[in-house]
Amino acid sequence: MRTKLVGSAGAGATFGVAALFALAFAIAAPACNRNRAAGGAGAGDPAAPTGGAGATRTIRIAMIAKSSTNPVFLSARTGAETTAKELSAKTGVPIEVSWLTPPQEDGQIQAQRIAQAVNEGASAILVSCSDAGKVTGAIDDAVARGVPVMTFDSDAPQSKRFSFYGVDDHAIGQEVMAELAKQIDGRGRIAILAGNQNAPNLRMRVDAVKAEAAKHPGITIVGTFYHMETPQDAASEVIRVNNAYPDIRGWAMVGGWALYTKTLLTDLDPKNVKIVAVDALAPELPYVEKGLTPVLIAQSPYLWGQIGVTTVVDKIFYKKTVPTIIPMQPVRVTKDNLGSWARQLQQWGFVDVPEQYLKMP
Amino acid sequence: MTVLGRLLRSQQAGLLLVIVGLAVALSLLAGTHVDPVSGATVNNFLNSYTLIQTATDASFFAIMAVGATIVIIAAGIDLSVGSVYALAGVGMALAIRALHPQGALATVMLALGVAVSIGFLAGLLNGAMVVGLRVHPFIITLGTMWILRGIAFVSSKAESILLPEPLTRVAKASLGMGASLYPVPMLSMLLVSVAGAIYLSRTVMGRHVFAIGGNVEASRFSGLRIGRIQMGVYLVSGVTAGLSSFLGASFYGSASCGDATGYELYVIASAVVGGASLSGGKGSAINAMLGAILIVLIRQSIRTLHFDQNYEWIIIGCAIVLAVVLDQSSTRFAARRLARASLKGASRAPSTRPADDKTGHSKKREAG
Repeated sequence: MRTKLVGSAGAGATFGVAALFALAFAIAAPACNRNRAAGGAGAGDPAAPTGGAGATRTIRIAMIAKSSTNPVFLSARTGAETTAKELSAKTGVPIEVSWLTPPQEDGQIQAQRIAQAVNEGASAILVSCSDAGKVTGAIDDAVARGVPVMTFDSDAPQSKRFSFYGVDDHAIGQEVMAELAKQIDGRGRIAILAGNQNAPNLRMRVDAVKAEAAKHPGITIVGTFYHMETPQDAASEVIRVNNAYPDIRGWAMVGGWALYTKTLLTDLDPKNVKIVAVDALAPELPYVEKGLTPVLIAQSPYLWGQIGVTTVVDKIFYKKTVPTIIPMQPVRVTKDNLGSWARQLQQWGFVDVPEQYLKMP
Repeated sequence: MTVLGRLLRSQQAGLLLVIVGLAVALSLLAGTHVDPVSGATVNNFLNSYTLIQTATDASFFAIMAVGATIVIIAAGIDLSVGSVYALAGVGMALAIRALHPQGALATVMLALGVAVSIGFLAGLLNGAMVVGLRVHPFIITLGTMWILRGIAFVSSKAESILLPEPLTRVAKASLGMGASLYPVPMLSMLLVSVAGAIYLSRTVMGRHVFAIGGNVEASRFSGLRIGRIQMGVYLVSGVTAGLSSFLGASFYGSASCGDATGYELYVIASAVVGGASLSGGKGSAINAMLGAILIVLIRQSIRTLHFDQNYEWIIIGCAIVLAVVLDQSSTRFAARRLARASLKGASRAPSTRPADDKTGHSKKREAG
């Protein structure tokens, strides 16, 4: 009797799953991505991996950032898609960006998606590595199968990627600490907010912050604090650490996560604590205005997409030689250039830039 | 009954049909691309790379899902498998770094031994606490989930540790299939699933697992050693997580404390979509593997068909809820059908008892 019951139950689960597919297709079909809706190389379209001058087949670039819930990567996507449209018009070859970023940071999933992109005929891959060790093998496999790979933001230097575009993580870490030291007059206890412990670029920044702090004998680091890279997790970590070390005078943040919330605007007093952080997105601008974060060292996430797509097209369409390392120059954002930076963010497709900053000189 | 009939009535038939149906649909709708190396036109789904890649992606969940299914059949739950995976990977990487084994075989054996041993110890810890403390396994394994990941974090100092080449060569051996085709994780998944199926259906221990999951009190009165069996299922779960970690870390070439974060939910989902009942007494190792393949195939189809991948979690969540709800309805329907069938059989037997007359009457009314 047990066997029969189990068998019937398994069939029940199957009916459920079968019904699910009808539901899934009903939900997801209208949400087909823009590329497919635009008639790009989707189902049924043969897509060539590369195109020399004069070729007319689609160039499909798979873009795999660290996490699709992080606003900086959404800006990178906008940059990539806008540039792809512009270059499509310029070259006469349809160029499309296929967004394969996992919802949460996971190097293993990124490696799987690199393999999927190759299996489905991507012409090139742009990837920001959550864990260089995990994706190096997948990058090398892709290159072995004729698909060039470029990294941005976070590199996999041991892999066979043809180019990397991003800031010099060591330099940006040093800059964060040097600015913080100025803000707290070179003395006091500080903490480092470090994000994902496995991201090689963040680890490099943290090491640089520590190395720079060692040059200031009056500064003591109470600890390096890792967290899930969500705004809420980051902000809670800051509050927890501040409660545990009430005498903290400064925070060196190697990413801007905690400042994407508003809570620290009220929880921290700018008279007692100063923050210097990497990134300068719209939600962080009030921190600059209030003086809690006198300096933000901004990456330009839109350019990850723009330069990434341009470099890929240079390599596979124009057959140009591209540099192995393309350095991104960070921008120092303070009260003095808040208005111009806000307008720059708006131009890059950020829709949540407060009006008050756009009106600033 | 014909072979086809037996196949269609088997536990796996439904899931297999859905998987095959989905695979056929994907093959028809996926489109094609030109292979950059060979210049041949290749179907975006129906090609050896995608098929093996899909099985590889599923294999790391599926191996753990076999262990998790055995726990679920025994009316337990193991939320710590993702953390066991991370700790086993970090442990084997640190052991290799510390001991510098000489030669490929020694490296592989050391890594496998350490990963499986850590899985075994984690399973022992879970089992001992569930049995010894008499606390619900949800709470115990929720606690060990954090404890084990914390140990992985502290011991690795949050570093992603690269693994030596011999391990990657084993996990990525092509076995004569051609370059960039790696069937080892898929074959391991099949082996573990078959071993799990044999354990559950052909061994006394396996039947004991079903017995305590079906009715723990009745099993106790039957003289079964409940604590020992419960301990055993958590050991199996830990060992499968350790084995999966060995394969996963070797395949991807590194191990870190952040590995397999959240995978416990995919593992449990695989078991549940495979028909395992969270109230115990029901489940199948092969179905758990098929459940894992189906979940990965759903993810694959979202990408292959260029659907918005932000819908992935919604679709998988709907799959689990719908599968379980309809599974329970189907179980109740099957139970009623069996009850009617047995009553029908009884009514055919010569009897003058009033109950038989009543049953026969009822049957006529349904037929009419």
